[in-house]
Amino acid sequence: MTQKKIKTRLALKYCGSCNPQIHLRRIANYLVRVAGRQHDFELVSLATRDTDVIAILCGCPRACGNKAEVRARARYCLVVAGESLDGKLISEANLPIALEEALTRVIRHKEHPRGGANLKLTAGTQ
Amino acid sequence: MGMMTGKDYRESLKTLRPEVYYMGEKIENVVDHPAFVPHVNAAALTYDMAAAPEFEELTTATSHLTGEKINRFTHIHHSHDDLVKKVKMLRAIGQQTGSCFQRCVGHDGLNTIYSVTYDIDQKKGTDYHQRFTKFLREVQSRDLMISGAMTDPKGDRSLPPGKQKDPDTYVHIVKRQGKGIVINGAKVHITGAVNSHGHLVMPTSSLTAEEADYAVCCYVPVDAPGVVHIFGRQTNDTRKCDCLLDQGNIDYGSVGGEALVVFDNVFVPWEHVFMAGEYEFAYSLVERFATAHRQNYGGCKTGLADALVGAIYLLTEAQGTAGASHIREKLVEMVHLAETLYCCSIACSCQGYALPSGSHMADPLLANVTKLNVTRNVYEIARLAHDVAGGILATMPSEADWKDKKVGKYVDKYMKAAAGVPAETRMRLIRLIEAMTCGTALVESMHGAGSPQAQRIMIWRQANLEHKKRLALKLAKIGDTKENKN
Repeated sequence: MTQKKIKTRLALKYCGSCNPQIHLRRIANYLVRVAGRQHDFELVSLATRDTDVIAILCGCPRACGNKAEVRARARYCLVVAGESLDGKLISEANLPIALEEALTRVIRHKEHPRGGANLKLTAGTQ
Repeated sequence: MGMMTGKDYRESLKTLRPEVYYMGEKIENVVDHPAFVPHVNAAALTYDMAAAPEFEELTTATSHLTGEKINRFTHIHHSHDDLVKKVKMLRAIGQQTGSCFQRCVGHDGLNTIYSVTYDIDQKKGTDYHQRFTKFLREVQSRDLMISGAMTDPKGDRSLPPGKQKDPDTYVHIVKRQGKGIVINGAKVHITGAVNSHGHLVMPTSSLTAEEADYAVCCYVPVDAPGVVHIFGRQTNDTRKCDCLLDQGNIDYGSVGGEALVVFDNVFVPWEHVFMAGEYEFAYSLVERFATAHRQNYGGCKTGLADALVGAIYLLTEAQGTAGASHIREKLVEMVHLAETLYCCSIACSCQGYALPSGSHMADPLLANVTKLNVTRNVYEIARLAHDVAGGILATMPSEADWKDKKVGKYVDKYMKAAAGVPAETRMRLIRLIEAMTCGTALVESMHGAGSPQAQRIMIWRQANLEHKKRLALKLAKIGDTKENKN
């Protein structure tokens, strides 16, 4: 009997977008396309219980969406803040793919916590 | 009930029957009339952006009364973070509308009356705050759009309200009855009045004991008997009815849509009366409202400037001037002027403080400085926009001629500039810049939230000049140095 694989639940949290330096919707749309293609994660609303990962999408380095109460809603958290991902500088053009790769690492880590996936989590997320 | 969408908001307006006049006609359907559509659209966006995930951090809040998620425009600020988020929200919405979206005035009225009714009750033993809180719950749960009706026509400016020849030049109580009060008078420049659910009527100046009947603060539904709205004209307003491209900002217009609102013996039940004769609180109400509203202008106007700078930059690309060094300098100056306003609004929010009611207000001195800068910087931004855009801003042929079978080919041919850019692109940008910088839109920056002199009066009152004198005396070693130590 094969066991149905449970998809990783990814929620998006935006900073509020008062003066974004990057196109946040473009990143979100990219993730929607990837989710439709790869089937190993699904996008859920922020209010969903048992969310596995929250991607906090902030338009600039001030990262207004990166708050403890937001991070506490999921086991894993990825923070885009302007042209950066989890504190590492990444150009806007490369951010969607970098976020996808980070998400893949999280999914692997979630499925095989001791399997050697090299995962550096955002401070305070686990 | 709960937060409305833009569609819900439009539907809710259709259930109301306000008395509205425009260009000599009585308007039966505000929502679908071309003169009002842009203003309804702009206000509707304040509802839709509250439902949009990328904006909800700013456009929604948690009600301190119910714990429910509400539209921030119905929220009472309870922290510095709330004050900052208001400014950021206004910038974010302004970027999307490129025009006034009207809803901040009522929001500032709600916050002002919340704190002032608390103070009145503490001193007078009245129950205004309880009444107002009950009303606020309704506003939050129904997500109402409320106009802030403060400015009276004022008549002879050399005379106070109580000495005017016509007592109706300031809204006042004409009758007190068992079930409520009756008010007479009018309010001018009321933004979003015809497409609001109701009006928060507030006094416009400090008052004396003899003027106690002018100390009236209340809520009046937009379609209450005796309330008459006479919609104001705007520069190029007929373009809203007979063309599209020439409107410039087709969806959202150039300003908020202001009206003269007449109160002709309007009955107000006691549950909607929040001040009735407490003249000694009129000044603090005016000061707090002015502070809240002047705090806003470095938010919304910066959002508008963001869109305007974008339009100017695109136009220079379309005209082949984008590479010129003086163009870059002017674009930098426009950004500098806009961000200076934003700095002011953020600063007065961060320097805000708690009031006895527990709500927060911005720093009054810095809020007035914000708005005084708006009266200058927005004009300078517009001047630079006109400089960079060129004379075509004032002379471009019409949309109708561009579409004309005979002369359209000439308009299209000679409105082209840089290679590869269609004439239509250039024309649309020029009209957008015209809508955002010419005529009514500019005057709104000068007199909205009060004229520059009103800001100067409040800056004078808040300037702490005695402290400044003591500093000078100490440095110059004049008089008693011990006394001048602090």
